[in-house]
Amino acid sequence: MSPLAPLALSTFLFCTGLYGVMARRNSVLVLMSVELMLNAVNINLVAFQGLFYPGDINVSGQVLALFVIAVAAAEVGVGLAIVLNMFRNRASVNVDDVDLMRW
Amino acid sequence: MSSFLLLAAEGLEPFTGEPSALVRSSWIIVVLPLLSAAVIAAFGRLMPMKGAEVGIGTLAVMWVMALGVGWETFTNPVYFYENSLAWAPLGGGITLELGMLVDGLTGMMLVLVTTVSLMVHVYSREYMHGEERFTYFYAMLSLFTFSMLVLVLANNTLQGVVGWELVGLCSYLLIGFYWQEKSNADAANKAFLTTKFADVGLIVGVIILSSGVGSLGGEFAETPFNLTLTNQAAVAGALPEFAIVAGMLFIFLGCVAKSGQMPLHVWLPDAMAGPTPVSALIHAATMVTAGIFLIARLYPVLAQSLTVMNIVAVVGVITLFLGGLVALVQDDIKKVLAYSTVSQLGYMMAALGVGSYTAGVFHLFTHGFFKALLFLGSGSLIHAVHSNNMSDMGGLRKYMPHTFWTFVVGSLALAGFPLTAGFFSKDEVLVGAGIWSDNGLVMGDVVFWVGLAGALVTTFYMARAIFLIFFGEHRGAHHDEHGHDGHDGDDAHAPEPTTVVDEQGVERPVPAGGAGGGGDHHGDPHESGRQILVPLVALALLSFPVGFSGGFLWTNVGGSEAMNFETWTATEVIDHAQYPFLADYEPWGEVVDGEFVKPASDDHGGDGATGEGEEASAAPLASGVNAAPLAAAAEDGGVSNHVLHGAPTFHLEVFVPALLAFIIGVGGAFAIYGRGRPERDPTLHMGGFTTLLERKYYLDDIGYAAVVVPVRDHLARWTSDSSNDGRYAIDKLVAGVGTLTKRLSLSTYRTLDQKVIDGGVNGAALSAAWWSERLKRIQSGDVQRYAGALVAGTVVLVLVIAANA
Repeated sequence: MSPLAPLALSTFLFCTGLYGVMARRNSVLVLMSVELMLNAVNINLVAFQGLFYPGDINVSGQVLALFVIAVAAAEVGVGLAIVLNMFRNRASVNVDDVDLMRW
Repeated sequence: MSSFLLLAAEGLEPFTGEPSALVRSSWIIVVLPLLSAAVIAAFGRLMPMKGAEVGIGTLAVMWVMALGVGWETFTNPVYFYENSLAWAPLGGGITLELGMLVDGLTGMMLVLVTTVSLMVHVYSREYMHGEERFTYFYAMLSLFTFSMLVLVLANNTLQGVVGWELVGLCSYLLIGFYWQEKSNADAANKAFLTTKFADVGLIVGVIILSSGVGSLGGEFAETPFNLTLTNQAAVAGALPEFAIVAGMLFIFLGCVAKSGQMPLHVWLPDAMAGPTPVSALIHAATMVTAGIFLIARLYPVLAQSLTVMNIVAVVGVITLFLGGLVALVQDDIKKVLAYSTVSQLGYMMAALGVGSYTAGVFHLFTHGFFKALLFLGSGSLIHAVHSNNMSDMGGLRKYMPHTFWTFVVGSLALAGFPLTAGFFSKDEVLVGAGIWSDNGLVMGDVVFWVGLAGALVTTFYMARAIFLIFFGEHRGAHHDEHGHDGHDGDDAHAPEPTTVVDEQGVERPVPAGGAGGGGDHHGDPHESGRQILVPLVALALLSFPVGFSGGFLWTNVGGSEAMNFETWTATEVIDHAQYPFLADYEPWGEVVDGEFVKPASDDHGGDGATGEGEEASAAPLASGVNAAPLAAAAEDGGVSNHVLHGAPTFHLEVFVPALLAFIIGVGGAFAIYGRGRPERDPTLHMGGFTTLLERKYYLDDIGYAAVVVPVRDHLARWTSDSSNDGRYAIDKLVAGVGTLTKRLSLSTYRTLDQKVIDGGVNGAALSAAWWSERLKRIQSGDVQRYAGALVAGTVVLVLVIAANA
């Protein structure tokens, strides 16, 4: 199997996520874009494991992908809590509205 | 006067044994009082006895050690021990030594200095009791003792000069102990300046003498200040004439001032402004004898020149007689003793000038004890009566019996009453003068007869003092509140020359005239306490044995020839020194290639003797150089060119006139003062002569007019004007330098400080502000912009890595 298909898919996913992080104003969407980028990485991990280390009985790439999923779930929990607090204080979830940490 | 037949002298065996550990460590005796002075000065105030216990304790240890050293030098005639460190190179191959020379003369001085100093330390505890600067006083006493011992143990002249100046300093500090009164401070200044003036002469003399020694090359050139080498060069006849005459005359100038010889004695009577224990220690027993000691140390050099010896003798004779006469008219008891000291120092100097080395040194020794006794006794009187003046005393025999009899013992010793110390030493001076006269030298006759007259004067003024103080009715009415001598009003006369011009002493207070008053409730004078009496009694008892050490054991009444004062203070060079100006002169040893070589015939002498055809060995004097000529000379009528005269003998022809002088003096004084009517004192009614004496031969006035006025009123004023008015060189120079410095600093401030340094600092701050104004905008607070920067950075990193891969 050629590595092209999974790499193309993960590149597409990563760029979509990057765009979302850089361009969206809604912080919930920004969080979701971050999830996209993480999943692009997961695809890479699983694909490289299968393509280049097929005999690895530890299946390290897939295990690492599982860890990423777990950490991403925790991260989303923290992120949504921040968004919730932001909304309570500012009545907005727009990332442009939180620029207190500036000069 | 050819009756002074010479005495058969044994050739003295020089000391060849090993010096004991005590002698080798006698430097400890010198260092101890310095330590004690430091400890007293630092911690004395905290101690229960305010430092006195340290001073007395140290002195006691030193005294025991000094007695040991003295005994060893006494029992081993012609003792010699020298040890020195190279202290500092002086350049030109000359080494400055720090060393000690222990011989009989040193041992004698050690015993004298430590004994008197111990007595004074003990005495001062009561005498100075309650003084504000009691601790300081003890520190100074210890420092003085240290200084004196530096001088005594010095093995070279420069070290001697160090000690000499230090004693001068201590003397200055202690004369001015009661400096709150101007007259006392003036007395201290006068003493310091007078002796310092002469010390310039001393240093010049030391330099001239050492240059003469150094010209001999070898070890002489290495350590030209060494006393042993100097004396050896002198007895070998190797010293240049100029070094002997000029060197000794300049050194003698220093000794004239230090040892109170006319006309530079003027400071000594004024020095009585200091506390009485100081007068006893410094201005009677020890420091003032430093000049005599130095001349005695260099006696072999002195003996090389008749001119110098005659000058020494003439100065001594003048001092002994004229100084004694002034004592006749003094009312202040301390002044009487001071002039008496001047007179006795004249005896010592005259003795050295007429070849009586032993007698001069012996008189120094005995005089130290009995004069200290007299001063301490006078202190006891002053302590009781609160006045220095004999016109305020009278009848004290009843009140102060112990002071009375100790004072009488001291006076008898001073007057030369038979079997007392002064009797032996003074008679020995006269005997020595007689021998000099036998040698055909006229100064011998002069010293003999003037010395005899001086003995009469001495007896008279001491008898006068005793009758005035202890007999008759008590006249004391005159109580000072403060009590001590330094506060006494009479001292106000002498120190400042301006007051000398006053009617000093011509109008004496009429004894019962009640000046002062208010003393009646003070009660009668009372005997002093134990701490004052113990030193008095001890010194009074010592007034006998110190005389016996030199004289009592006359050979013709069964005395010791092997051990007496002469053998004690003799050194090997003294033993062999001869007078070149007398017949049969034979230099002892010679200087070969800068080394002193003892004659080969001298069997106990040097192993290094080369014996290159010494005539001495061929001569019939083979049994030791000095034994035979003495004996031979004695046979053919008594010419001796030897310094030592052999063990002392009894001379009836000296004893009788001296005793007569004593009886006449006492008898005369009794006839005049014995009935207790001092107001009819004939010494005060001799017209012009009395005035002359009371004005002290106008020496103070002459000194005032010739030195003080020109210096103070002209030289000092001119120097001051030239610097203060801004008209002359010094001020101009100072002002110019000041202006220049000011300008330079102003321009430095404007350019360097304001522009360069301040500009740099301000510029750094400004540029930081400018940059931060621009750079702060990067921190926008916009998270997405940060994410963009993060991505851009990652891209750049990836590109860089990819390009390098």
